[in-house]
Amino acid sequence: MKKIRVSLRVNGRIFTLETDPNRRLIDVLREDLNFTGVKEGCGIGECGACTVLMNGKPVNSCLVLIGQAEGSEVVTIEGLKGKNGELHPLQEAFIEAGAVQCGYCIPGMILSAEALLQNNPHPTEDLIKEAISGNLCRCTGYRQIIDAVKIASKKIARKE
Amino acid sequence: MQEFDFVKAKSLDHACTMLAGKRGRAKVIAGGTDLMIGLRNHRLSEEVDTIMDISGVGELAYIREEGELIRIGAGTTHAELALSSILWEAAPVLSMAAKSIGSPQIRNRGTIGGNIITSAPCADTVPALLVLDAALLLRRGESVRQVQIADFFEGPYRVKAAEDELLLEISFRRLRDGAKSLFDKLTRRNALAKARMNIAVIALQDKNKVVKDLRISLGSTTPIPCRFTDAERLFLGKVPRREDFLKAGQIISSEMVEKSGYRWSTDYKKPVVEALTAAALKRVLKAE
Ligand SMILES: Cc1cc2nc3c(=O)[nH]c(=O)nc-3n(C[C@H](O)[C@H](O)[C@H](O)COP(=O)(O)OP(=O)(O)OC[C@H]3O[C@@H](n4cnc5c(N)ncnc54)[C@H](O)[C@@H]3O)c2cc1C
Ligand code: FES
Ligand code: FES
Repeated sequence: MKKIRVSLRVNGRIFTLETDPNRRLIDVLREDLNFTGVKEGCGIGECGACTVLMNGKPVNSCLVLIGQAEGSEVVTIEGLKGKNGELHPLQEAFIEAGAVQCGYCIPGMILSAEALLQNNPHPTEDLIKEAISGNLCRCTGYRQIIDAVKIASKKIARKE
Repeated sequence: MQEFDFVKAKSLDHACTMLAGKRGRAKVIAGGTDLMIGLRNHRLSEEVDTIMDISGVGELAYIREEGELIRIGAGTTHAELALSSILWEAAPVLSMAAKSIGSPQIRNRGTIGGNIITSAPCADTVPALLVLDAALLLRRGESVRQVQIADFFEGPYRVKAAEDELLLEISFRRLRDGAKSLFDKLTRRNALAKARMNIAVIALQDKNKVVKDLRISLGSTTPIPCRFTDAERLFLGKVPRREDFLKAGQIISSEMVEKSGYRWSTDYKKPVVEALTAAALKRVLKAE
């Protein structure tokens, strides 16, 4: 197995590394680059805990080979910030709505919501449900999460 | 995870040359939503020593309209299919199938080519492409061939393509004016519910409700995915009667038992096939 050289931009910073090719994007993000906000739940694409934005779109980082991420732009929860280092509106909204219990699903959940709001700042409830349909939460029952996305949508509108 | 060398295809030609040179020792990865599960479970065959990534090959991702013909690159993702207004207009049955797949994350990576090549019994684009009578374009080294999708499957998870053959394109004629189409499936939120089923239908009636064209395909029903022509013939040239909807379902469920044999799941599947068929036909066909 020959090592490969991979360059990718994570949260705005370019990283170049040499690695075994049989590692996943999630492995490199967590183990080599220390972005431990990326969580592993199922490892088979079903829970969404490992969701990151790759070129602006939510993907399961447990299903991406590291070599496939060459040249891509990745955003993890660590890359989501409000202005001047404040909390991002989605993060504020999740706290206000009480949408976080154990928290394991939340990084992925917030990134899926972020991708939605980027494309559609005023989504309907159905669109919110659709956007987070690949993110399982074992704690909250989703109601507070959906409310949080709605609150964030209003916050973002106010700031614009 | 299994060990392998990794190469990233820079272009279509590069991918085909590489694959041909490797003579079956290289395996293609597109979105990876099927293959990654295989790699994790050490299901890569012994001969394969290289994984070749085609997810960055832009030449494989497109949806084009050429007169009556719709041409789709094998590397087009389900998200791209579900967003394409060309496709919603020309063949909504495929748009609906793509939109129903997995989750946004899966649709952002998973491709139509990977769905066809994996050929899982429940692959959602397959029944849609069967009723569209789609043709597949494949390339091996320098030689290109075209095959009808109906002739492409050998059994569950088995297609008639060589390891070093690349699927390039899927093409079909747009629906005729006035034709209706529909894709439906047993929804799955429960990850344990494996025995899912899906149905794709295209129907055309004239103004007197006489059925001019009808095509029906159900996934997870027969070992080789197919259209159910006996059930289709029940309607052709006639005005549908309400009782025919359930009768068509029964014809299909009998054909399922004939082709798949009686299994533990048959008692459960039979009524589902019948109800799914009847409900879908009721939605696309106007009866007397
Ligand atoms: C959580 C989850 C949910 C899913 N839900 C659904 C669902 O609802 N419906 C459904 O139908 N599927 C579903 N799938 C399966 C999968 O997402 C699809 O089959 C997808 O279309 C596969 O495409 P891919 O690009 O990811 O394939 P890959 O995993 O990259 O490849 C799959 C196979 O196809 C081969 N291949 C890929 N492209 C080509 C090509 N151009 N030429 C030759 N060979 C090629 C590969 O070598 C490999 O053998 C799900 C998967 C997961 C993990
Ligand atoms: S860990 Fe990737 S989807 Fe569950
Ligand atoms: S808060 Fe615990 S899984 Fe969602």
